[in-house]
Amino acid sequence: MNLVIVLLIIGLLMIVAGCWCLMRTFHLLKMTIGIEVAMKAVTLFLVLAGRISGKIALSETFVITVMVAEVIVAVVGTGTAVGLFRKYGSMDVRNLKQLKG
Amino acid sequence: MNVIVYLGAGLMLLFGVYAVMEHSILRAAIGLALSSASLSVLLYVLGAHLAALFELSVCSGLVTVIFIAGISLSHSPKMEIQKEYRDKERNRLLPLVLIGVGLLLVILALTLNLQTPELAQLTQDDDVRDVLWGNRQADIWGQIALILCGGVAVAVLFREERREKK
Repeated sequence: MNLVIVLLIIGLLMIVAGCWCLMRTFHLLKMTIGIEVAMKAVTLFLVLAGRISGKIALSETFVITVMVAEVIVAVVGTGTAVGLFRKYGSMDVRNLKQLKG
Repeated sequence: MNVIVYLGAGLMLLFGVYAVMEHSILRAAIGLALSSASLSVLLYVLGAHLAALFELSVCSGLVTVIFIAGISLSHSPKMEIQKEYRDKERNRLLPLVLIGVGLLLVILALTLNLQTPELAQLTQDDDVRDVLWGNRQADIWGQIALILCGGVAVAVLFREERREKK
């Protein structure tokens, strides 16, 4: 096994861990953390692809775009979690079912 | 170089799994920050210097600050969180799942004899700034749209709060 396969396996395991967090918890902040964990693997894959193809500068631009998306996901997820907490006193996503409108 | 890559990747996975499994949200956010820091080391060694810098400052710093701000704005006691969500019980099987999936992937990689490419030599032909501002201008517009969406989302959430106070 070479370095590329090892990094691919580690990235896939990170995605599994992130998806597990999304499936098994109801805490909205924790779910956002799960998404962030999976996105770390995406960042690694992008740089790995750039390094393999020899276009590292191009892959870095994609990574910067992914990071912006990552921050926005964190901001919106945390904002929604705080809003949920203020309304229901808990960050349980099951409370979202009670919202009307 | 390979030792640092393996070490960085291993630490990234370790801290990522810790962030998922830890029932304290504050510790989970710190685990995520450490995972980001490990990834930034990995990116630097792989030659993506600017991405490593952004990863360290934005994902390891800013995102952690956002999470900690969210935690400080909600004051639920730790024990209640554990009682309510039962994360410990729910995530108990995760290490076993990861070991199982990891073993399966290793066996597949060894038996299928995949023709994987090697890492190319680093060249300094392209500059990130030239590629970003020259070839990928659509990405910049996308980023601007994303940032605006984030700003609008936060503004809407705060407006709701003001209405409740009235």
